[in-house]
Amino acid sequence: MKMKSIINKITLSIIFTSLICVISTAQDKSEVKSKRETAIEMSYNKKADKSKIAVALVTAKNEAGKFIPANNVQVNFYAKHNNDEQLIKSANTNNKGEANILLPKDLPLNDSMYFNIIAKIENNNQFENAQEQMHFKEANLSFSLDSKDTNRMVIAKVTEMSKDGKEIPVKGVELKFYVCRLFGTMPASEDNNITTDDKGEASFAYPKNIPGSTEGVITLVAKIENNEKFGSIENKVAEPWGTVLAIEKEPFPRALWEPTAPFPLVITISSLFGGVWLVYFFLFYQLKKIKEETKIKTVKN
Amino acid sequence: MIEENKENINPESKTTNRRNLLKYGFLTAGLTVAGIGLKKVFSEGNDPGETVKVLTPDGKVYETCSTQLKEYRPGPVTNAEARKGIPNKKFVMVIDLAKCDGCKKCTEACQAMHYTEPDREWIKVFKMHEAEATAPFYFPKPCFHCDNPPCTKVCPVNATFKREDGIVLIDNERCIGCRMCMAACPYSTRFFNWSAPDEKQTAQLGNAAYSPEQSVPRKIGTVEKCDFCPDMIRQGKMPACVSGCPMNVIYFGDQNEDAVTNASGVTVKLSQLLEDNAGYRHLEELGTEPRVYYLPPKNRKYPTPNVNAPGGRENKKPTELNMGDMHM
Amino acid sequence: MANQKYNLKEEIEQVREDCLRPTRKWGRSTQIWIGSLLMVMAWGLYCYIHQLRNGLGVTAMRNYVSWGLYISTFVFFIGISHSGTLVSAILRITKQEWRRPITRSAELLTFVSLLFGGIMPIIDLGRPDRIANLVIFGRVQSPLLWDVISILTYFTGSTVFLFLPMIPDMALCRDRLKVCETKFDKFRKWLYTKMALGWQGTKTQWHRLELTMTIMTIVIIPVAVSVHTVVSYIFAMTLRPGWNSTVFGPYFVAGALYSGSAGVILGMVAFRKLYSLEKYITPRHFDLMGRIVLALTMIYAYLNLNEYWIPAYKMATAEGHLLNDLFSGSYSIAFWTCQFGTVLIPIIVLAIPAGRKLIPITITCIIIVLGAWVKRYLIVVPTLLHPFMPIQEVPGSWSTYFPNYVEFSVTAACLAGIFLVITLFAKMFPMMAVWEVEEGIQIEYDKQAAIELREQRETEEAKNILGNAGTANEPIIQQA
Repeated sequence: MKMKSIINKITLSIIFTSLICVISTAQDKSEVKSKRETAIEMSYNKKADKSKIAVALVTAKNEAGKFIPANNVQVNFYAKHNNDEQLIKSANTNNKGEANILLPKDLPLNDSMYFNIIAKIENNNQFENAQEQMHFKEANLSFSLDSKDTNRMVIAKVTEMSKDGKEIPVKGVELKFYVCRLFGTMPASEDNNITTDDKGEASFAYPKNIPGSTEGVITLVAKIENNEKFGSIENKVAEPWGTVLAIEKEPFPRALWEPTAPFPLVITISSLFGGVWLVYFFLFYQLKKIKEETKIKTVKN
Repeated sequence: MIEENKENINPESKTTNRRNLLKYGFLTAGLTVAGIGLKKVFSEGNDPGETVKVLTPDGKVYETCSTQLKEYRPGPVTNAEARKGIPNKKFVMVIDLAKCDGCKKCTEACQAMHYTEPDREWIKVFKMHEAEATAPFYFPKPCFHCDNPPCTKVCPVNATFKREDGIVLIDNERCIGCRMCMAACPYSTRFFNWSAPDEKQTAQLGNAAYSPEQSVPRKIGTVEKCDFCPDMIRQGKMPACVSGCPMNVIYFGDQNEDAVTNASGVTVKLSQLLEDNAGYRHLEELGTEPRVYYLPPKNRKYPTPNVNAPGGRENKKPTELNMGDMHM
Repeated sequence: MANQKYNLKEEIEQVREDCLRPTRKWGRSTQIWIGSLLMVMAWGLYCYIHQLRNGLGVTAMRNYVSWGLYISTFVFFIGISHSGTLVSAILRITKQEWRRPITRSAELLTFVSLLFGGIMPIIDLGRPDRIANLVIFGRVQSPLLWDVISILTYFTGSTVFLFLPMIPDMALCRDRLKVCETKFDKFRKWLYTKMALGWQGTKTQWHRLELTMTIMTIVIIPVAVSVHTVVSYIFAMTLRPGWNSTVFGPYFVAGALYSGSAGVILGMVAFRKLYSLEKYITPRHFDLMGRIVLALTMIYAYLNLNEYWIPAYKMATAEGHLLNDLFSGSYSIAFWTCQFGTVLIPIIVLAIPAGRKLIPITITCIIIVLGAWVKRYLIVVPTLLHPFMPIQEVPGSWSTYFPNYVEFSVTAACLAGIFLVITLFAKMFPMMAVWEVEEGIQIEYDKQAAIELREQRETEEAKNILGNAGTANEPIIQQA
């Protein structure tokens, strides 16, 4: 049996390779090259606004044999339930090779409350067919702040839904705390890695001296990152806990590099040259006088 | 010229834009919690769930869904706003010399963003070799947007100016082309439009409205330079060179927030970054107080630049200056 | 005595004739000269229009050397303009009698070189169409605006300074031009009448003229110093190696005086020859002017020492690269030629009395003026080629500079413009301040008369004493 199957495989592969050879020689060189080998990586993000996003990162082999992000590839997303695949939506990858879609709220769940999403590249004339699937469970990340004492505490709670619709706290989930900044989220402190306890809670001592807005408002973010069960979840809250940013009293002071000049400079220049011009005007007046004196004389004559 | 500019900016569209922004603001405020995904901001593809940040002219950050944002097209801000800048921000850049491998992707990204001719490198990667015994390294140099800017000091017509948010810009509709600022800049950051911009560029830009924040369309006989992409910042995006750097060399952020972010979205504490890596400013002794900091090229992981190629200290001798000719 | 008085009148008549003669006829050579100047200017204008249309890219200037021949020439012309102040004002204040025949040409040189010096930066502008922005948006912090204010002030001042002593001369011209047959003569008559401001030589008019002259003489000196100081500031206010120097103000003023006074000597030589003024501009004038140029050259040399020796001793990084280039690099020949050929050698030549004779002093002054021009270029260009950041991977045209035909043509046109205005002026107006020379003759005559009078009295007194002695004895004799 074994021998037979091996022989079968070998013959099959020989036929296959020769076929490829025939096809490739038959094709003109200028025609479309063989399709690029592709790979998909999937991830799942639950945003702070409770929107659920599926992301497929598509990479394709380049001439050097290295996988690089592939731009503008159509990816089809399917929801899988009991061997039944249903197309949710298609999306094209961006220049980072990522295609993302917003998942519908009522995803079909299996008995253990998991949903299953498949991303496929199908019938693309540049890229080989590829597919990848992911299955995750939905969880909730909620926030509460505690500033009773001088020590400010940030508490996040992670729960999952049971089959009968109850919220069950999840233990042992790694959480990270961040602070929102202009171009990204900054770790709130150096060791911001905290795991949830029996109650599904993780608390974090809020560090002082994080600059906030002019009102001292700061946006704190709790994140579960690439959890095996839940994917990535984040939630955030804005609170006036930051240090208040003093509003610049004089953003445009009188200075050499600003539009308005410092007073001493203005006074110096205007007095120096103003003085000279005053003298000039006196001279012009004298010249006028010289002219006028003639007139008087001629009149007298 | 200035009046022309005023005409270009339709006051009505501006107010509607603002109103929209406010609307979005309330929308998101209603949701109390909103996501951020700055890494994936504004991809052209369908990413309906993406929420993005928008920075309004008055410096407030709003978040909105990118699908909604498609309606919102940030037109050029008015000249007055471009001169004022974004309140309560102090933009700052950190360049980690240890990570730079001299690939010039930052320059390319910048040139693509600003339709620049290849000879003008608003951010230029130098090959530095300071002393015989020291190791050479790559040195990307944008405009330093100095806090004591020698260039704006000497401008006779206030065509180049320092904004509230620390950015130094040029108004090419006012510039008289005296080139005093070019003489005054100790970092050779400024470029002059010696001739009319080439036709390709003019065609690409069409009749785009000008604002000092975009620096384009360029005009003959005026000066231009790196502008820290304030139009991008207003959209919540980082300057082209920062997001274009594959090595995550360049960090950009708001000094008031004490945070800087690099191309891969890693946000770090600015003061910590400078402290841990002995950050410094180039030619500090000149007293120009640059807004660009450098982290020394310690533990470089990439090959050092070829010192014998243009860029070694010997090349400062004019006899060898031409070695770099047309290497573009 | 009577004989002397007769001579004085005749002499004054001679002066008037000598001064006004050149204004009467326009010879063939003058026409050719003016025609060729106009041709140079027309070609320069064509080049400038070319530059206006296609941008400054038609010049050799590029991003590193963003200032070139235009700005160097600007500094040079402004430097030449210092001559008028120096010779005219300083010599007036110190009451140097020998100044009288040369003040007019000195003041004219100031006026003209300022006029064209002021045009140079406008030619250098990328957007001359926006020049009004200087007034609308002018920033008083900018050295360039200081230049604008200061040059305008100096230009107004020097125009007045040129015009004031012309008033009595204009009246003279007006009165002497009696026959007005041609249109041109009628125009001249009209012009002289207008410019004479109805001068009739009354006592109050003379009084006012003297008052204004005195004030102007005093005011123009600090204004002139301010101009060249401020011109140096457009360089010294930057951080660039070679420009970042505290001595730049006085250095530029000294350089200006050095080249300007040499320019005055050249003007004297030219007018003396062309207008046959040998009687008025004598070897003594050259000797005295030579001494002044000598003194100024020595001051200039001293400031050169400060400007180069101090940084050369320290050889700070960026400055060191520049100095190496000047001392032993690509600019060394020009640099040392300037230092030795146009500073040191003139000092030696002018220190020898024979060197202050007409021919050697003319050659020396030509060398000085040309050297000053080259020196301006050496101040502007090499510094721009030695920025703090190394020049790397740029198009070849960026890292070298030599002016191209457009810049040379436009600059030549400006130089031709200077000559043209001087020629036209000299053909319209007397090139010596007639009344001042007359006054000089009068003073000389009075002095002579006083001496004679004294001698006469002395002889009379001596006679008297002798006589008295005689008379003292005589009565005795008589009595005896």
